[in-house]
Amino acid sequence: MEAQMLAVLTRVTKEVFETMVFAPVEALPPCDTLPPASGPGVIGTISFAGSSSGVVSFAASLESAREIAGGMLGMSPAEVQDELPDAVGEITNMIAGSFRTQMADEAGAWTISTPNVTIGSDLSVRHVGAVARTVCPFVFRGHRIFVELVLTDPTRLPHAERQEARAC
Amino acid sequence: MRFLVVDDSSTMRRIIINTLNKLGHQDVLEAGNGREGIERLSNVGSVDLIITDWNMPEMSGIDFIRTLRAMDNHKNLPVLMVTTNAAKDDIVQAMEAGVNHYIVKPFTPDTFKDKIQAAMTK
Ligand SMILES: [Mg+2]
Repeated sequence: MEAQMLAVLTRVTKEVFETMVFAPVEALPPCDTLPPASGPGVIGTISFAGSSSGVVSFAASLESAREIAGGMLGMSPAEVQDELPDAVGEITNMIAGSFRTQMADEAGAWTISTPNVTIGSDLSVRHVGAVARTVCPFVFRGHRIFVELVLTDPTRLPHAERQEARAC
Repeated sequence: MRFLVVDDSSTMRRIIINTLNKLGHQDVLEAGNGREGIERLSNVGSVDLIITDWNMPEMSGIDFIRTLRAMDNHKNLPVLMVTTNAAKDDIVQAMEAGVNHYIVKPFTPDTFKDKIQAAMTK
């Protein structure tokens, strides 16, 4: 299940960037935890619930987020100011929403939340309780950006099937 | 022609409005959720096409369309839904609520233009 989820998440992320940001991203192999962020960054999160439950999040440096927002809105990155949080929310929404749609045949249609966006410095996210986190890194214009799948359903902890930790 | 764009994302409203402008349409009203959409409509009387999101706070796109369809003056107003929700059950639910046209995000600019033009002519 996890491998399939990650394949779908990778595919929809590529599609969102090609069609809505007009910049392709290259997928790197999945890994276990987000590397510690240094400097200003953004994180968008959306929770889902149904046959599985968890969170899909999108993380990027502030600089990459400006380029992404600019691509979506047809603006130069330097012009992007107040538009940034909403654009990050909408990228997260399109990734999580397409993921939900593509998984619906297998998993039934989950309900998903509206996006939450955090902008700050040296951001990291901790989850309370048993969760399984997998990160899909991508290269966007020479910089890494991250889509993370967090499964909070305690009956499915796909990491238990795995022997070795995978560093990001 | 006058349009009403209902979406909680200002980014999506901007993308939609940019596309409408490129197609030569400048008369576009905006609302951030279904409840605001109903307010805009009651202020202006009516519009020629509504373009609405599904997932929004306060009043979702589906509840917005159900509300419109229960109103005598907006029963037949054409509605294009723009959403990532494209599971089979979603599409059935949207059609039952009274959606006329459907476009699934993400989309290419050309697909979006084609959908808007199709929605305006039918
Ligand atoms: Mg929305």
